[in-house]
Amino acid sequence: MSVRNREWPVALALTPALILILAPFLWLVVSSFKTEAEIGRADPFTWPADLMWRNYLDAWQIGGFADLVGNSLINLVGVVVLSLVTCAPAGYALAKIRFPGREWLFYAFILGLTVPVQAIVIPLYQVLFGLNLVNTLAGIVLVQVSNGIPFGIFLMRSFFIGVPDDLIEAAKIDGASHFQILTKVFLPISTPAVQALVIISALSTWNDFFLPLIVLISPEVQTLPLGLVRFASTYASDYRLVFSGTVISFLPIILLYILMQRRFTEGLTQGAIKG
Amino acid sequence: MLKFLARTTALAAMIAVTLPAHAETLKMWGPEQITEPLVAQLWNGIKADFEKANPGVTIEFMPPTGTISNGAVQAAIQSDAGPDVILTNSGIGRISVVKNAKQVMPLTEQYEKRGWKDQIYPWLYTELKSQFGGEIYEVPDGLDALGIWYHKDVFDQAGWKIPATWAEFEALMKSIEATGLQPIAIGPRTTGSAGHLFGNLLQSASGKEVIGKALRREIAWDDPSVAAGAVRLQKLVEAGDIKKEMAGLDLDGASRLWFNKRAAMFVAGPWFTANARKAGYDLTNAGYAPMPSDIKGAAIPTGGVGWSWLVPVNSKQPELAMKWIDFTLSDAVMKKRAQDPASTMIYPREIPGVEPPTPVLKEIFAAAAGGVGYNPSVYLPGPVLDTYFQVIQGLISGQIGGEDGMKQIQAKMAEAK
Amino acid sequence: MVIPETPGKVVAPLSTAPAVAGHTGGTFARMSKRGVAGSGSSDGDAGTAFWLMAPALALYAVFTLLPIAATFWLSFNGSAGFNTSASFVGFDNYAKAAQDPIVWKGLAHTFLWLAYHVVMAGGLGLLLALAVSRLRITQVFFRAAFFLPHLVSLAVVGVIWANIYDPFFGLMNTALTRIGLGAFTQGWLSDPALVLFSVNIASSWQGFGLYMLLFIAGLQNIDHSLYDAAEVDGANAFQKLIYVTLPGLREVTTFVVSLAMINGLKGFATVFVMTNGGPFYQSELITTYIYRLAFQSQDHGLAAVLCILLSLLAIAITIVFNRWRARLSQ
Repeated sequence: MSVRNREWPVALALTPALILILAPFLWLVVSSFKTEAEIGRADPFTWPADLMWRNYLDAWQIGGFADLVGNSLINLVGVVVLSLVTCAPAGYALAKIRFPGREWLFYAFILGLTVPVQAIVIPLYQVLFGLNLVNTLAGIVLVQVSNGIPFGIFLMRSFFIGVPDDLIEAAKIDGASHFQILTKVFLPISTPAVQALVIISALSTWNDFFLPLIVLISPEVQTLPLGLVRFASTYASDYRLVFSGTVISFLPIILLYILMQRRFTEGLTQGAIKG
Repeated sequence: MLKFLARTTALAAMIAVTLPAHAETLKMWGPEQITEPLVAQLWNGIKADFEKANPGVTIEFMPPTGTISNGAVQAAIQSDAGPDVILTNSGIGRISVVKNAKQVMPLTEQYEKRGWKDQIYPWLYTELKSQFGGEIYEVPDGLDALGIWYHKDVFDQAGWKIPATWAEFEALMKSIEATGLQPIAIGPRTTGSAGHLFGNLLQSASGKEVIGKALRREIAWDDPSVAAGAVRLQKLVEAGDIKKEMAGLDLDGASRLWFNKRAAMFVAGPWFTANARKAGYDLTNAGYAPMPSDIKGAAIPTGGVGWSWLVPVNSKQPELAMKWIDFTLSDAVMKKRAQDPASTMIYPREIPGVEPPTPVLKEIFAAAAGGVGYNPSVYLPGPVLDTYFQVIQGLISGQIGGEDGMKQIQAKMAEAK
Repeated sequence: MVIPETPGKVVAPLSTAPAVAGHTGGTFARMSKRGVAGSGSSDGDAGTAFWLMAPALALYAVFTLLPIAATFWLSFNGSAGFNTSASFVGFDNYAKAAQDPIVWKGLAHTFLWLAYHVVMAGGLGLLLALAVSRLRITQVFFRAAFFLPHLVSLAVVGVIWANIYDPFFGLMNTALTRIGLGAFTQGWLSDPALVLFSVNIASSWQGFGLYMLLFIAGLQNIDHSLYDAAEVDGANAFQKLIYVTLPGLREVTTFVVSLAMINGLKGFATVFVMTNGGPFYQSELITTYIYRLAFQSQDHGLAAVLCILLSLLAIAITIVFNRWRARLSQ
């Protein structure tokens, strides 16, 4: 009852916070439509005299954003698919098949959760170099998947543990192998976990910077965050291009988010937090 | 008769087939300013000339993603898609980084074999020979000459001019500040740029000889005669002539201040013409003068080797790379570059009878004609460079004093072999 | 046979990729309670299990386990770059690291960075969650709007905020001057006392969105009857907050703090893009120093020592939080 009355005052109180937090976006978008001279005058409260759509066109062409977006997409799809393929079966095996050393294997996987990727970067690079995978999208996909395996296995395993064993017994009586149980029984009912895994790996891959910085050297294979930083430093004197390029770099994901908002938040906050 | 024809045709066919089979690509890293349209135009012209003289060969430019100082060159050489020949900022410090990591090949033999040693200034060749015990790893492409760039219109209007003594220079900066302009803009986050201003200050305070001695380790860097320049920077920052906030700026951020005429002076070299053009600045308004000095003969630009050619050890076209370097050292190419409006630097040998088309370049060449002082960034050994640049950042952000800073540099100098 | 609607509760590992460190504590506790050994079939299916895990094992062994081991080895061997051979130098690199003032600075800054991140990103997330969770009609809008910064890559955030912080042209100082607060303009990225804080604001701006969502979910899980009971006891809004809300959020808070710390340890992109550790090492983190040593100065031995340091820090944080969570759930 009294909860309803609080809505509008709270919403009102939140508005200044909203403006402050979204101010960088607003400033960026407005500035991206200014001419270089207008940007030079550095007045944050003036509107551009004309909407310089040209800035976006120029940034897109010079910045090679088509390639960057393409590479990021390939990167993303590769990582998501490979993550599912590796983590679901492994999670199932660790959750539902008893074999000697199961606990230790699980701990070994969890080790990867704590060690930050920056801590293994030198030998990682050497491994990639030895496999001829430096400067390739294949290389970075493999590394990112490996990076995400501890989390992915943890997620799938936790979910699968919650599935009653009777399902397995029943399927076994019907003569199903573990693989068939996984694909025909477990996966169809694990939408929440799969959703979570997809969204989390997708978001972290799309925005990854450190690994692409190390692995992807030539502009042809670079991904969006890396490409934008390089673009910003190369054209640092062309602020109109830097601003419009920056907007181009995060526009796809923001649009996607607005369209799929509920799935996003559900995927990220799946399940109860209680232990 | 028929047999003869058949054989000839067969031979011709074989030759025709093998010739295009030699279609080769030379991947060239650089030049730094290739994103500027006029510079791109010049280099595309040079590329076309080379390709015409060497049928079957294609040059592919790789726009640089950075320099040796920020690891971009090393990363590129390391990756398999790396360049076959590189044009980048050089100097003994930077070259030693890639030499020690065994990433570039020694070119000493080529200097003899291909006569490169006669195609650069003799003093330059001697200098290179003395750096790595006789082995040379670079071929200089351009020399730098760093001095003060100022706005002719702003100075004329206010009745200012670059004076002859240091005291007058300090007074000038005070009057500039009084009008609300920044006297000097500096972007220390770009390490090279930090070194430009600092090198000028050292030169102006101590003179070419003393700095030369310090670089050769004959005097310590924290000796008062050498530290004088650092102390001057400290005083300028304390007096507010150089704003501490600039410590967070990089070259582009600082030059932005200058191009928008919110700063009166900026220390840069002939390459700054490309930056200016990109920013839409009217180059006829640019004036250039060396930093004033109380020491006789010390009011000269500082400089040294600016950019050089390097050949990576894993270059897929080493022969072609050498041929390319031959080509760029030739009279024809040097004249072409010197006369082009996109010309951005001083050439590694004398080119008689060539006048640079841009007025400010004329001023720079004239100032450098009498010789240039040392830009320490280009002469310091590799391990010292990082500390050197960081100390400059520390001085500008007011975190360290001139003497302490030089002590740190001296400590590194003593360590390095 | 009944197939449950929502099979089991997914133990919420809620974050961007590998950062559920704090949560493993809960799992371990739960495991001993329920006994994972009791889950699953016990036929000798070890073979099947192996093949099911093979792809994951293969990748993980090559790209994570092998490099971990190699880093250890590397720390005991000097090396001047990828093309040179390593030579055994024993504990030399460790000694060098201990004497390097930049290492100590980096360590101190890393701790400071973690503190800033937890307080700013975590704190902001909590505050906004408390407010947003009260909304009904507009909740979706505000939640979505506040989450927007989280969608931007940290590197891109660095580019944006580096421009905002430009002392002469950036939004921060020009806006302050225009609204008459010109006296508050700072050298955000140049003042040694401010630089780490300023960069962290950018990083927290990007990070808080996730924590806010976590807190919102946590708030929704608090039993509403507790609030009613408090009302009956005559508690006002503030007392309800202290005595019902915050205790109810204890688990989530622990989780968020550990998550924020692990994420903070990985902080690299924003510092790298905005200041690269400067000016004069004032924003140097362990991670940025590792990058510089490994890829610029090519001193791999020393870099490896720092890598181990970083791993130890991460493991220490994980263990501490595991213990804490285990104690909480008792």
